[in-house]
Amino acid sequence: MTIAASAPRVSRRSFGFDPSKPILLLFAAILCVLIILPISWLAYYAFTDAKGAFTVNNFQRLVADAAFLDPLLTTFMLATLSAFICCAVAAPMGWLVSRTDMPLRRTVRLLVTASFVTPPFLGAIAWELLAAPNSGLLNQLFRELTGAAPDEHLLNIYSFSGLVFVISCYTFPYVFVLIANALDRTPGDLEDASAMLGAGAWYTARRITVPLALPAVVAGALVAFLQAMTLFGSPAILAMPAGFHTMTTKIWSLFQFPPKPELAAAASLPLLLLTVLLLRGQSMVLGRRGYSVVGGKNSEPRLVRLGRYRWLAIALAMIVLACPVFLPYFALLNATFSKVASHLVSVSNFTLQNLHFVFFELSATDLVLRNTFILGVLAATIGTMIALVISYVTARRAVTGHAVLGFLATAPIAIPGIVLGVGLFFSYTRPPFVLYGTLWILLIAYVTLAMPAAYQQMQSAFRAVHPELEDASRILGASRLRALWQITAPLLRTNVVAVWCFIFVGVIRELSAAIMLFTSQTKVLSVLIYDLNESGDLAAISVLGLCMLIITSLIVLLANKLTKLGGRPATAGI
Amino acid sequence: MASVELRNLTKRYGSNAVVDDVSLTVEHGKLVCLLGPSGCGKTTTLRLIAGFVEPSEGEIRVGDRVVSTPANSLPPEKRNMSMIFQSYALWPHMTVAENIVYGLKLRKMDRETIAKKREAILATTKLAPLAQRYPGELSGGQQQRVALARALIVEPETLLLDEPLSNLDANLREEMRFEVRRLHDAYRYTTVYVTHDQSEAMTTADLICVMNAGKIEQAGSPEEIYDRPRSEFVARFIGSSNVIKGKGLDQSHISLADARIRCAGAPITAGAETAVSVRPHEIRLSSTPPQQADNVVPATVIRQVFLGNSRDYMVEVKGGTQLRVVTAADVAIPPGGAVWLQLPPERCRALVG
Repeated sequence: MTIAASAPRVSRRSFGFDPSKPILLLFAAILCVLIILPISWLAYYAFTDAKGAFTVNNFQRLVADAAFLDPLLTTFMLATLSAFICCAVAAPMGWLVSRTDMPLRRTVRLLVTASFVTPPFLGAIAWELLAAPNSGLLNQLFRELTGAAPDEHLLNIYSFSGLVFVISCYTFPYVFVLIANALDRTPGDLEDASAMLGAGAWYTARRITVPLALPAVVAGALVAFLQAMTLFGSPAILAMPAGFHTMTTKIWSLFQFPPKPELAAAASLPLLLLTVLLLRGQSMVLGRRGYSVVGGKNSEPRLVRLGRYRWLAIALAMIVLACPVFLPYFALLNATFSKVASHLVSVSNFTLQNLHFVFFELSATDLVLRNTFILGVLAATIGTMIALVISYVTARRAVTGHAVLGFLATAPIAIPGIVLGVGLFFSYTRPPFVLYGTLWILLIAYVTLAMPAAYQQMQSAFRAVHPELEDASRILGASRLRALWQITAPLLRTNVVAVWCFIFVGVIRELSAAIMLFTSQTKVLSVLIYDLNESGDLAAISVLGLCMLIITSLIVLLANKLTKLGGRPATAGI
Repeated sequence: MASVELRNLTKRYGSNAVVDDVSLTVEHGKLVCLLGPSGCGKTTTLRLIAGFVEPSEGEIRVGDRVVSTPANSLPPEKRNMSMIFQSYALWPHMTVAENIVYGLKLRKMDRETIAKKREAILATTKLAPLAQRYPGELSGGQQQRVALARALIVEPETLLLDEPLSNLDANLREEMRFEVRRLHDAYRYTTVYVTHDQSEAMTTADLICVMNAGKIEQAGSPEEIYDRPRSEFVARFIGSSNVIKGKGLDQSHISLADARIRCAGAPITAGAETAVSVRPHEIRLSSTPPQQADNVVPATVIRQVFLGNSRDYMVEVKGGTQLRVVTAADVAIPPGGAVWLQLPPERCRALVG
């Protein structure tokens, strides 16, 4: 049951100047610039022709032309299949980790959480190393073992099924964490109550455990669907060489020479609408059952004993983990220290040349690392500050109209990165704001994309600090600001640090918006990796990728340490 | 018919005995309360009976079946028991009606019987208008009644209740106490009830087991426990009591402020410091020396409070021992006044240990 924290409170008015209005207006203006401006330009471009007259021509071309319909269909199939595979793998894994006595279940959970830090495009490149038809390590192994001809291959990652596989690999952790956490939160009493009435383990699982986990599975399927639908990196790396497009790569290609921005705008709108619809659908599926746990104290769940199937369970879990974690990391490490990326490291083959090349010879490295670092720090700091203020205002109902602020802050959750990129491109390539070609436009993109997750985390943190704690300080004579500073701020310190870290990590990983907005002087790490993939320099990518993984892992680790999140998602929402 | 019997039941976590050599027999149709402060092992005892926890030593019998031994424990679903959880454990994805008939469906009853039983229990528990609601949409008291209905509809041999009223507000708690007893009388299953609230235990139980540190301190009827506490822990935990310490004179006398006080209860060892319990309202207080001089001690009023239908005194006898005394409201003696206390011999219970 929820605590009375959400009960309406009488808004307080201090004597004289009332600061609530200007604060509201200021932050509403910031959010409007961040969100409404790009979306409006997007809509404007989609509905006008080159001369600026109203037209629906762009949409007609979109529907009539097979070059647009095919990507739409591909994207739909891709998202559906990925969502299905993710749930089919994540649900049993989540159950094994949360509710059974499977050996090493803590390690399994940790490893899945660790696979979060792998950006999907890096995973896709690692799988290129593993399963490209000719040079892929797994295909070489296959030929070695079976003696097949040099032109035969077992796996081809440059295919629709390859793309589905790789996207599922890096989406399934989201679903897994949702399901495992939902199972953790389901009180053991609910299952015990069923057992007391005479239900055996399987009946209880079928009638109680599974239905209770169902909302998490549905939510997970939706997250997976959205993720697969809006990803840019993996399809760009795997689908375009195979000669087909998804919506995101299509939108991107419309910006290549000769650019057709009005078509890109028109193609972005369906993606945006679909995202909004799916998010609405999610809240409808959950319905009035509410699924919030009823009642007071609960006991720890009893673990299901797997008996002799324990070892089978852990073996299966390890095989699943091999796909997003063990194999790709092995391939990246191998490429880092091998003279030829597609050859296994041996004594004669071992080299540090790749490291030397990336850090001392590649001219872009310096600039890119500097850009990424500056953007990461700025976006994390600004994003955390905005999230902090808005969540305070909404959690404490400090000004009238706080609900609008809350809505605006969560709205970007429905804007795919690439769509935002297109919108920002339109907004800031013209007066009065000419920001294209500067780091500012990337900063705006990052802050906007990070806002929903940052806001939600800060808000739940504020909810956990009961307003009476502040009230107690004020009744003893502290002013509102002093109460905030002395009571609330220390209690929220760890949350602030965590949010900062999550935004920073999100910036390092981001590719879909950056790919639309970068120029040669404002390249970031993810874009450089993408470029190097185009030029086939896989060894350099491996070095940069591992570099990136080490930085993000350290930051995630730090954030986890500070907030003691334990098994909870380290990068939720990013 | 099913009595419940615990024989030398022990549960250890590591070297810590949470339940320590507990033996208890609950006859069929009786309602027994396990009463004690939090951490005394009462909930673990209940979960042992339910089969959620396996004993380290000892055994549990239901009727003539052995259901729990350290080596072999019948799973909860095979015990034909019902349980009401402290959290109620209502399934949030099922309506009230679905929650209630869950156990019947498991027993593969036909649709008509299920419907008939459902309507009957909905009527008894006054839940009929709420049948299609989800648990999240009910108040605490309504949720509690759903939990009761769900447990009772299967007509269990044994009903287990784990602090079922602790999440309700005071008024509702009082009402539900009598409801639990009424339903017990109507159905007559063997009931084990865990609570830390002594008045809840008093109003519902046939037999109260006061537990402390994993052991049963005293088992008996509510009257027995209240009137004849055997240990200081029981005397203090059940109702309020003065526990006075004095030197033993012989088998049935102690010395308090130079007066010989005759006591009942455990035999007293001469020369040993002995604790005696006497309840505040059983002491007679007067402003003049009573004619009958047995068990009388002079004292001084320290403070007194008017409580409407009674007056609450704190008095001090020679030697500094303080006692609480409850008198009729019209006995008004100001602080500092001299009084005489008469302690009825049969109400002074010498305590063990």
